[in-house]
Amino acid sequence: MTEITRDPRIIIFFAAVFASLLILAPMPSEDGLKTRLKYGLDLEGGSWLQLKLQGAIIQPQVDPIKILEKQFGDAFGAPVEVEWRQATTEYHITVEGRVTRAQVDDLGYPQATVTPRGEATRISIATSPIGVMMNYLQTSLDSDVRYLGPDPISFEVRSNVTREALDALLAEVGGTLAPGEAGFSEGVSEDTVDETKLILDRKLNRLGLADIKVRVVDNKFILIDLAGVTVTDAQEIVGKPGLFEIRIQTKANESMHVLYGSEIVDVSLPSGDRAGNWGVPFTLSEEGARAFQKAAIDTGATKNRMDHEVSMHLDNDLIFSAPLAQDLAASLEVAPMRSMIAQVGPDSQRAHELYIHLREGALPVNVEIIGSGQVTAALGEQFKKQVLIAGILAMLAAGFMVFYRYRRPKIVVPMVATSFSEVLMMLAIAALLNWQLDLAALAGLIVVIGTGIDHLVIITDELLYEGKMPSGKVYLARLSSAFGIIMAAAATMIVAMLPLFGMGFGAFKSFALITIAGVLIGVLIARPAYGRIIGRIMQEERQ
Amino acid sequence: MDPETFISKYEPRKMVAISLAVFAVAFAILGFTYINTGSPVRLGVEFTGGTIVTVPVIESEGELAAKLAGYPVLDLRDVGHRYMVQMGPMSDADYRQLSAMITSEYRDPEIKYMGPVYSARLIEQAKTYIPLSFLFMAVVIFLIFRTPFVAMTVIFAAFSDIVIAAACMTVVGVSLSMGTVAALLMLIGYSVDSNILLNMRVFKRKGKIEDKIAGAFRTGFAMTTTTLSAVVALFLVATFSYLVSPAFTQINILFDISIVLIFGITAGLMNTWVMNSNALRWYLARPKKAPARRQKR
Repeated sequence: MTEITRDPRIIIFFAAVFASLLILAPMPSEDGLKTRLKYGLDLEGGSWLQLKLQGAIIQPQVDPIKILEKQFGDAFGAPVEVEWRQATTEYHITVEGRVTRAQVDDLGYPQATVTPRGEATRISIATSPIGVMMNYLQTSLDSDVRYLGPDPISFEVRSNVTREALDALLAEVGGTLAPGEAGFSEGVSEDTVDETKLILDRKLNRLGLADIKVRVVDNKFILIDLAGVTVTDAQEIVGKPGLFEIRIQTKANESMHVLYGSEIVDVSLPSGDRAGNWGVPFTLSEEGARAFQKAAIDTGATKNRMDHEVSMHLDNDLIFSAPLAQDLAASLEVAPMRSMIAQVGPDSQRAHELYIHLREGALPVNVEIIGSGQVTAALGEQFKKQVLIAGILAMLAAGFMVFYRYRRPKIVVPMVATSFSEVLMMLAIAALLNWQLDLAALAGLIVVIGTGIDHLVIITDELLYEGKMPSGKVYLARLSSAFGIIMAAAATMIVAMLPLFGMGFGAFKSFALITIAGVLIGVLIARPAYGRIIGRIMQEERQ
Repeated sequence: MDPETFISKYEPRKMVAISLAVFAVAFAILGFTYINTGSPVRLGVEFTGGTIVTVPVIESEGELAAKLAGYPVLDLRDVGHRYMVQMGPMSDADYRQLSAMITSEYRDPEIKYMGPVYSARLIEQAKTYIPLSFLFMAVVIFLIFRTPFVAMTVIFAAFSDIVIAAACMTVVGVSLSMGTVAALLMLIGYSVDSNILLNMRVFKRKGKIEDKIAGAFRTGFAMTTTTLSAVVALFLVATFSYLVSPAFTQINILFDISIVLIFGITAGLMNTWVMNSNALRWYLARPKKAPARRQKR
């Protein structure tokens, strides 16, 4: 017996089983004894949301001069001449007839200088070719557009736009999108995804929800698992995070975009002053403060504050509008201001509402719910019990089948014990690697019990060939031939499981993981040891 | 029947033909479904987009149906102390209303919503990944077996297992879900198991081919029935445990996985022991131009 106890396969096997038992042993924790196993939402209870970020990354190929010709030509119905001055990074546009500053403003160029020249008007716009493209996309798509980089020129459109719509838009100015995926791909840039994810994380943490998992897939999907929350609440919380926006009035009924909620870095609780006026103090990021100052100056709000009110919008609904305070207007003339207070008057309730809006409406892009669901904790508990019963029955049934075949407890008992040890090791690996055991994973585990015993049958039969146990070299040859079969079967099973990692946001990833883990544990740890043990038992029987 | 007589009694070609006929029927069923619906198997809600709700039975089916009158209900059935309702695609507003109603009126509801974006993506993925997985499997099999004829029989058997399992799904009305896809993929792995056993035994051992096949069959049959018994246990618990306790209900995902595996593993028994073992007999008995490469090892 000394020889077998020193066999490395046996040592590894028993060490692995022992380690698995240690890992799986219930440990005292805050809420009583708990094992380290983590269950999926469908067993633990909770809800999940699958969100799609609306946006596209595009590479337009277009001549900015043509854009300006079209924009100004359409606006004034007169021949237009456009000239690009590289030295001063200015576009000079000459339009026949008279053009007012306000008309140019409308086209999205508030910083232009307009000078009459004889019968014509000359407009100088200090902007780059990129600026012109961005302006064209922004105004014609009515959406936020971000410049991503120069090589090749690409932009992120932050709305639900189609390739066809963009193609049509660019065709009007003699441009196109770069061919293929590069020219147009649904999704947003990594920065935007990260920003969105961060905001969602913060928001969920603020609500004090435990066990939140926010994952990003393919730069356009965000998956959120919320333990212990109903799907209705989950949707309320994250499904429709409002798009918060600050705008400044340009004309009587028009306003321009200044910044989104993402530029608001801090919001304090509403406070009232001695006169009973309530306000919500908030702080802008440096970038936001600069954008705010620039917009206030460009629109003329610093000079004529009553005609250029600052408004706040949540999902395009107006939630607040007021002129700049006099001292703020004066300060903005000289420098960007980061701290401001949104004054709402004597209504503290309204101040509180505004506070909530300011804090929560901060996603840079709109999201669409593309999938969601929930299982309650009680139902999950019930599923767990059923799966446990199924597992026990499966093992009994498989044990019964091998007993029926071999009718020798000396073979059947080690076989069932080995199979059981494989289950232990699979669970231990799941606990160790923090896999979430969901229904699919447990189904995989039960099925692997079947395959595991399968392979033990192959080993046993290979060794028992010709009805008796061979000895020495023949035994080893047989064993290695059995392992040839098992290895080949394991390799195909692993390859077959690969698609499940990608499909449906990995809904069956756990199934694939458990199956692969089971196959590997079986092949590398449990079955080599079983081969030795069963060989030893048979040899003793023979003697 | 005694495996020896079963193996050697019949003409190999006849046995192969029987298996091919079963495959042809299964293939025809998928083809017919494809012509009628545009997809070889009936697609479940995960692939078409829609909502699945299960709620405890607290009223009659009619009452529940009346409650859901405004929604695109496709199917409503009793799954053991619970009703399962499948609904087609609906607007976001409708879905919100529905989920609010369900969560407020029922204890322990289960809701699953798959939007059109999700299901379109899933179909794309299924179309790309499943053939890819099959291709990888084929490569692995070629690497293992090297002899093209043998590799082809193994690959064909795997394909036939999947086709027969999918056809059986259509016949008994199980639609394609993530669970059934996972099970179909698993069949690729399973079907290879017993074929490898068969081939290793036939090519690596000395003796009469019929004896070797009979020996392999005894082992193969034992291993397949063990797996099958575990899967049947899973199927019974997933499907009928509600009869034992009022707390239990049918578990869809387990039902899907186990029923497809039962079909596929059974088909695998036929494809390995009726088709491939006889194909091997024929292959080794054919007039030889060159000896089979691996036979001597």
